[in-house]
Amino acid sequence: MHLPKSWSEIDVLQFKEIRELYSIEEVFAREVEILSALAGVSSDELEDLDVSEVSAMLKDITFINSEPSKNYKRDIDKWKVKPLSKLTCGEFIDLEYFFANDYIKHLCHIASILYRQHHIDQWGELTFEPYEFSPFDRHELFDEYCINDIYGIIPEYLSFRQDFMDKYHLLFNEEESDEEEEDKPMTSEESKAQAEQKSAVKWGWERLLYSLCNEDLTKFKQVTDLPLILTFNMLSMKKELNL
Amino acid sequence: MVKILDKEIPNQLSELNIQQFEDITSIHAINELDAIEKHLKVFEVLGLNESDFEDTTIEQFRQYVKEFNNIKGKPELKSSIELDGYNYTAFEGEEFKLSVRDTKHIEKVLNSKHKGYLSEMLAILFKRDDLTKTEHYDSTHIKHKAKMIRELKAELVVPFLVEIGQKLAKQMPKDAPAEVVE
Repeated sequence: MHLPKSWSEIDVLQFKEIRELYSIEEVFAREVEILSALAGVSSDELEDLDVSEVSAMLKDITFINSEPSKNYKRDIDKWKVKPLSKLTCGEFIDLEYFFANDYIKHLCHIASILYRQHHIDQWGELTFEPYEFSPFDRHELFDEYCINDIYGIIPEYLSFRQDFMDKYHLLFNEEESDEEEEDKPMTSEESKAQAEQKSAVKWGWERLLYSLCNEDLTKFKQVTDLPLILTFNMLSMKKELNL
Repeated sequence: MVKILDKEIPNQLSELNIQQFEDITSIHAINELDAIEKHLKVFEVLGLNESDFEDTTIEQFRQYVKEFNNIKGKPELKSSIELDGYNYTAFEGEEFKLSVRDTKHIEKVLNSKHKGYLSEMLAILFKRDDLTKTEHYDSTHIKHKAKMIRELKAELVVPFLVEIGQKLAKQMPKDAPAEVVE
């Protein structure tokens, strides 16, 4: 039975499968399932063994309790990581969706937004392909890469996101609901205001884009293609000057 | 047997049945009770009410507890038992082996922390010789068998508890969930 010795032998698909197994509550049962996934055998085959035999194998795979490498590859095959400072508004919104909805499960969707095809244009500038594809159509292309090659984009994006949220905290705080206030008795006007606020949070990005399009949906694509930082600088200016 | 307040109550593993033993271990697991309350409840399980001890001094009560806890002998691990005319085997040969499958089932039972967990643990280990694996691990079959096992003496369960405890302490992986980045 071949067992991998480190994350460098694990591909993204196996990594996601292993992480999903963490939902199994019982520790031993979970470790056996992980072992079976890593060894490529059915758990039935392992279940007939004595607990001491399996335990010896489990000692060989303790690396699973650590994180994969954070030193990701910036270039893999035809893909290159787009610098986070060059993200567009649309890319950022989609990344936010995948990060908010289990980023391990959506690791390949995230990779498909950040790893892009590219070329050097006539001016010698590195140009990335436009964001004219859906991550849902492309994510499977990243399943078989080594997890160590791409995992690092997660902490890097989270760090970028934290800095971004801090920088534009006035724009984001507006959308956060005050949880402490929720339990207090409310007048009908207050509950109406709270319902409106919840609705605003629910439709946060759509509302923002709608406002940036000047309520003209035909401009939607133009807005999502705008550089993220430029967009948020403009939004900050509008807010500060009360425009 | 031990005589407490002129009443003979079982205290040896060969006298207590598994259900009584489960009740006693469950009482000892209640953190909200102090030592005296726990012993009063244990005696209640065995037929002595709290009110029976009203005139008992604390020194006398301590002596009863000491006598009750004086367990003699070390029961042996049994590899098979007979129940209702059927033979049930827990392991073959001299050495006790714990399969991964049994461990998974036992872990589930232990995690559920219900009162009858010891008899259910034995019901997982002891397999009726004429049944298939599928039939053996069927939850209804396990529950039915556990009900019968509950009537057997506690001397059956204790050696298994020791063996399993030792094996799991040595073998069980630490619950160290992978570090996630947030």
